[in-house]
Amino acid sequence: MVTTPIDNSIMKVKLVEVKGVSKTFNGVVRALDEVSIAIRQNEIVGVVGENGAGKSTLMKILVGVFPPDKGEWYYKGRKVPFPKNPKEAAKRGISIVYQEKGVIPCLKVYQFLFLGHEDKYVKISRLQIDKMRKHAREILEEFHVKCDVENFMYELPLSTQKMVEIARAILSVRLEHEDDDITSIIILDEPTAPLNIEERRELFGDILDMKKNASFIFVSHIIPEVMEFTDRVHVLRDGKLVAHYDLSKEKITEEDLFRAIVGRESSEYIYKPEIKRVVSEKVVLTVKNLTKNGCYYDILFDLHKGECIGIFGPAGSGKSEIINTIAGLISFEEGVLIVKGQEVKTKELPHVRLARGIGYFSGETGKELFLNWTITKNISIVNIEKILRKFIPVISFNAEKQMAEKIVQRMRIRTPGINTDCYSLSGGSKQKVSIGKWLERSPDILLLEDLTMGIDVGARKDIYETISEMKKSGISMILVSDDPKEYSILCDKIMFIKDGRIQKVLSPEQFKKVMAT
Amino acid sequence: MKIPGRKKLIPPVIIQTLKTHPVIIALIALVVIFSSLYPERFLTPLNFKTILRQFVTLTLFALGPSIVVVTGSLDLSYVGIWMLGGILVWLLMPILGMFSILVIPLLGLATGLLIGVIQVKAKIPSFILTLGLLATYAGLTATLSGGYPRHVRGYEFITARLIPYIPTAFLWSIPIIIAAVFIIKRTKIGTYLYAIGSNEEGARLAGINVDKYKILAFTISGLFTGIGSIILFQHLGGATPVNLNLNNVVGPLVAIVLGGTPLIGGSGGPQRTILGALTFTVLYRGLLLSLLHPQAIQLIVGLLLIVSIVVGTRGLKGVTIT
Repeated sequence: MVTTPIDNSIMKVKLVEVKGVSKTFNGVVRALDEVSIAIRQNEIVGVVGENGAGKSTLMKILVGVFPPDKGEWYYKGRKVPFPKNPKEAAKRGISIVYQEKGVIPCLKVYQFLFLGHEDKYVKISRLQIDKMRKHAREILEEFHVKCDVENFMYELPLSTQKMVEIARAILSVRLEHEDDDITSIIILDEPTAPLNIEERRELFGDILDMKKNASFIFVSHIIPEVMEFTDRVHVLRDGKLVAHYDLSKEKITEEDLFRAIVGRESSEYIYKPEIKRVVSEKVVLTVKNLTKNGCYYDILFDLHKGECIGIFGPAGSGKSEIINTIAGLISFEEGVLIVKGQEVKTKELPHVRLARGIGYFSGETGKELFLNWTITKNISIVNIEKILRKFIPVISFNAEKQMAEKIVQRMRIRTPGINTDCYSLSGGSKQKVSIGKWLERSPDILLLEDLTMGIDVGARKDIYETISEMKKSGISMILVSDDPKEYSILCDKIMFIKDGRIQKVLSPEQFKKVMAT
Repeated sequence: MKIPGRKKLIPPVIIQTLKTHPVIIALIALVVIFSSLYPERFLTPLNFKTILRQFVTLTLFALGPSIVVVTGSLDLSYVGIWMLGGILVWLLMPILGMFSILVIPLLGLATGLLIGVIQVKAKIPSFILTLGLLATYAGLTATLSGGYPRHVRGYEFITARLIPYIPTAFLWSIPIIIAAVFIIKRTKIGTYLYAIGSNEEGARLAGINVDKYKILAFTISGLFTGIGSIILFQHLGGATPVNLNLNNVVGPLVAIVLGGTPLIGGSGGPQRTILGALTFTVLYRGLLLSLLHPQAIQLIVGLLLIVSIVVGTRGLKGVTIT
């Protein structure tokens, strides 16, 4: 464990401090209960907790998205009112970088940096573009962002995009104060969610560099990241602050932090299935020399009935493209794809592949679910043939209801009822509904991508259990994920892929050894 | 705590219905307001009949398109199908005799299929495509007719009086309405159309042939408009106008949106359109009875469309539209 040493010689000023913040929604759910945190100069403060622990609510109060029910706000020791909007929050030195959708891809870097602050660069109703470019260049240099101001945002790698977003957040505080020496507090809301492992390292290296100029609040549920990169950690559970660790002074382990987050022994939560890897001889899917130039080359494997193959590699290695090809989302150029003994054409849409018995789970709630629909409808959508009446093909609402109730119970979905709209569910429950519909459908082959991305530990356990059950019942699977643990839990065989080519094929035991070193 | 034996003032079912269908409140309010303002003119059998007549017109135009709106697209071709269909009946009368009326549903079906295929293959916004088609059909109608409305006789039986004070066209429209609601609520097709409107990418991943069902939506819409137009042809005078009347286009749109089918798709449908059509008709009749100038009514209709689109898209506080 590496903790970054802070300069403890000078007593650091508390930049912003909030005390006794409480918030209830609809008068029922207590989202935050008497929460107090303080941020000092040049430090990285972690805020961790399970989904629904109140992290997002706290951050939204800090940037003025909504007001708290009660609480006090001190800016450099002076009591000030809570900000009413993000602009006022910037006046108090706080700005946020959201998890996703913060970037506007079609803008150039300098346009994006000054978006919303153009009036500072207007001279007689004309934008002084040269001045903007020059200023932008200075900022990119100051923060060591490796890109040119003339680049379009979409041209940049994801980690650089994040850096530009962080630079923009710092800039917005400075411009609000018209002072370049002001210390800003930047909230990073799950900044690493879309990044792969190397990109994460890179981003964190850059953020540590930036600590000279700013303080950060780092919201995450990835424990190793928090341990490595933060100076202090606050743990939120059910809207309350349950623990606070000063990592420079206290020695705590990942296990300690984990226990504080879930509030129970973590060993309960890490699912260790009794692996009986009996795989039938029957081949359901054959992939021979599959090639798509620029994505993957000469992919070769057989998928047996009831087998789970993992394709492991960094983002951009071609792993997603391979399963997207099998799902029918993209086409291949060379090679042969044989599904249950039948060779298939390169251009087949997902519905044709599903008819052949291939289901695809994308891992993105927004893609999987119809959020304005009830749980019932979301489950029945891929199983509609099952609930049609026999003689006249009319939907039987009764059968639909029974199907949904069965799945909600089996997946242990926490919901007031099966007719709850999906957008009101928690992240973990949403994922369970998405998987539940495939559980009911039980296709011959299920392609799983990012099975548990952004999901808390409890829900993760339930999902692994379901997947193992499905495997036992004879469903074959191909798994692509960013979490190495997932591969060792679920897979019978793991293929390492790099630059679009399979490097080696490992058993789960070998895989564990490789990952440990 | 519930006190046993004491009944709730309003049953929860009704409260729930009103919550999800706020337009019913508007409808009741309008009826109450107009009845008290013009008691001797609004609450008359004649006015009742007029409201039903206008309701039929709106509903038959709006049923098909509201199926398309569920998928998140828009179909404005209905008035075009009715106009061109009417003139084709006149043209084909000497050849086909009484069967020539069947050309209208065929035209509707073909139009819907055409729109669907173009929209899916060329991926252009359905709004502009169907608007263009509407203009084309209107132009074609004017050209084929030589610029004069052409009367066709022989179909009077369609609207012949069966029950006093109830227009026969209204009776005809009942099975059509039931069919539309049935398709959208109880069949696989309907469910898939909702899915496409709610989350197109998700629908694709769930193994739905999105393109096919989009084409199907337009085709069903065209067919419904075509069948409806048989009735409307006679209902609206046994001849179709040769000039495009904007009111005919806007009215059904208001009915759809006012009923609570948001233009972004994914919810609502024909069952709501009926409510919207009824509310709009009552409002329209009420305004006609008032001292307002007819042009001012047009203004109000336009504003109503805008307001209901905004409300339908953003949602009212505490109101869920499903």
